[in-house]
Amino acid sequence: MVASGPFDFDLCSRNAYLESKGVKPPRLTKTGTTIVGLIFKDGVVLGADTRSTSDTTVADKNCEKIHFIAPNIYCCGAGTAADTENVTGMVSSALELHRYATDRESRVVTAMTMLKSHLFRYQGHVSAALVLGGVDLRGPHLFTVYPHGSTDSLPYATMGSGSLNAMAVFEEGYKEGLDRMGAVKLVARAIRSGIFNDLGSGSNVDVCVITRGKVDYMRNYEYLMDKTVARETPVVYPPGTAPVLKEKRWKINSTRPSEAAAGGSAEAMDVS
Amino acid sequence: MAYQMATPAHSAHGAPRAHPSWSPYDNNGGTCVAVAGQDYCVVAASTRMSTGFSILKRDSSLFLQLSDQLVIVTAGFQADSRTLHKTLQTRYVQYQFAHRRPMSVGAMAQLLGNTLYYKRFFPYYTFNLCAGLDAEGKGAVYTYDAVGSHERVGFSCQGSGKDLIQPVLDNQLKAASPLVLPPEEWMTSLPLAEAVDLVKDAFVSAGERDIYTGDAVEILIITKEGTRKEVIPLKKD
Amino acid sequence: MEAELNQAVSLGTTIMAAAYDGGVVLGADSRTSTGNYVANRVTDKLTPLTDKVYVCRSGSAADTQNLAAYVQLYLHQHQMELGGDVSVRTAARLAQQIVYSNKAMLQAGLIVAGWDARDNGSVYGVPLGGTLLKVPFTIGGSGSAYIYGFCDKNWKPGMSEADCHAFVVKAVSHAMARDGSSGGCIRTIVINKDGVKRHFLPNNEILAAYGELQPPLPASIAVGGGGAAEMSP
Repeated sequence: MVASGPFDFDLCSRNAYLESKGVKPPRLTKTGTTIVGLIFKDGVVLGADTRSTSDTTVADKNCEKIHFIAPNIYCCGAGTAADTENVTGMVSSALELHRYATDRESRVVTAMTMLKSHLFRYQGHVSAALVLGGVDLRGPHLFTVYPHGSTDSLPYATMGSGSLNAMAVFEEGYKEGLDRMGAVKLVARAIRSGIFNDLGSGSNVDVCVITRGKVDYMRNYEYLMDKTVARETPVVYPPGTAPVLKEKRWKINSTRPSEAAAGGSAEAMDVS
Repeated sequence: MAYQMATPAHSAHGAPRAHPSWSPYDNNGGTCVAVAGQDYCVVAASTRMSTGFSILKRDSSLFLQLSDQLVIVTAGFQADSRTLHKTLQTRYVQYQFAHRRPMSVGAMAQLLGNTLYYKRFFPYYTFNLCAGLDAEGKGAVYTYDAVGSHERVGFSCQGSGKDLIQPVLDNQLKAASPLVLPPEEWMTSLPLAEAVDLVKDAFVSAGERDIYTGDAVEILIITKEGTRKEVIPLKKD
Repeated sequence: MEAELNQAVSLGTTIMAAAYDGGVVLGADSRTSTGNYVANRVTDKLTPLTDKVYVCRSGSAADTQNLAAYVQLYLHQHQMELGGDVSVRTAARLAQQIVYSNKAMLQAGLIVAGWDARDNGSVYGVPLGGTLLKVPFTIGGSGSAYIYGFCDKNWKPGMSEADCHAFVVKAVSHAMARDGSSGGCIRTIVINKDGVKRHFLPNNEILAAYGELQPPLPASIAVGGGGAAEMSP
């Protein structure tokens, strides 16, 4: 197979063969998620829960799903965690270079187009489902981006396993021209509906408010629940619980790293 | 029979039929734990009932309480659990009419094993614990697989959170191997209050990481005085 | 449900275009679904290829959006070399070429329609395999199956703009009434020598078809239960 682009698909046929023989593929960390966004009077509000799951276990109880794209654009990600992080990271750095080249604020449609053409090229194998929002010279914008590379431009949007729960809240409560407080409250309520009713979503509410020239990223805007019970007789392991069986001491050579590096060119940094 | 009629897995040509994804089973999640002590038995179960990524009910009990000395607790597929509990309740009453004495934990344990094995080739998708006090007044816990293999143990855990809880119980309650000679005491020497505290902590912790464990945990504390019930709330996300 | 949401987003659709005396009318419903879930109820399936050529998209949302973007790109480049507008024929032929040469990869049923000085209004169908059909009118998408009879009976050559527009709206609303994968609002575009005019018909203003519920009455009437005088618009 001819290599093209950053991925190598050579092992796909091998993996398909192994799977047909009953070998289980590794579990990917999914952000079984509730992510939402809406447009209000003077900008965009994005929201996300903070649970990431691996099958039916919680992999991270407080992860960040609202990713930085540009100073005026942020993006919520659902799907395979690795894909959402990398795809938003790629677009973020490409836009930064684009800003250096053009000396202009990035546009939301540019980010959207870069995301959709990347995702379309990989035909759904890069499983990133995104809610992209920002404010540029043409005003506030909100898009959903699906893993296969389709996009929608909407006044309010939800994605992830909790998207139906969140959309129910939006369809009931969204009005055009909400003020900032009303918008943030509605977004938090939509996320909470995902957190409590969708098992793939949980823990806390993150909110990001983007207005012209200002971003308010409110990490853990709502912390919903503590553990319900604390142990009355906590288990304490006294020192020495794990016995020391063997002891060996090294004398550490205190040569400075710069001197060591100067000695040889073996570890020259690859800057290609 | 219904299963056979509903889904012959393959057609005459060997190709999968129209509904290859339909299954007679569902997993409704839930976790249960039982700990046997010298003169008590603690049995606990979470109350969330789920399917896929949705919650169906937040206060669903996994218990079949047969008497104040005997209880069965079942995780897995709720429809099978209901059917199984109905059968066992009936057989429990019939046993007492026939034998004119209360049913012992050991007898119920064997009956449950037989009932599960009776459906060896279309099993009840259930994971059971049978717990109570034995003839000597000691805590008794029996643990099962879906087709009726069982053994008496000092403590056990079944259901969606077992991978998280069982190793903690092994560590905290010092599981003795049943193979060691002379036989070691497998029952925990923990006082009742500490055992209950451990069980609560186990559920609170499992609720943090297992998406199917949450909402609340029901704890039955069985002593010779009878059964006492506590309900502890868990996180609802 | 999770498995359902992971399905490809598709435009279970009703789309159509019809030529009239001096131009074309394009029409589409506004529903985008993933399985049973309506992912977008106000979709715009009428996408510009050039200033006076538009395409109606049906099939996979991802495939048709990106396909339209490629066609747009090539046509704009071509127009720069040409120094003038491309014809509808050229645009349709380019779309057809891309659909045909990537037919294994694409799920895209298109209708290309627009206005140019040589042919006036013209309509081209580009169905799934990549055929190119020049037709006076055509319908597409899952909802089209329900309105072949209606369209065959009611389309007439040389209609006026208003008649043709009414014909398109009525056809699409009938398809939406019967097809579960079509719904929402009706978007139409009229293209002629004077330019492009967009029309938008919200869901609650679509005339109910036989057997459907009437849209709810305004609150004042419903509450008051007043006389017949109030009922007339």
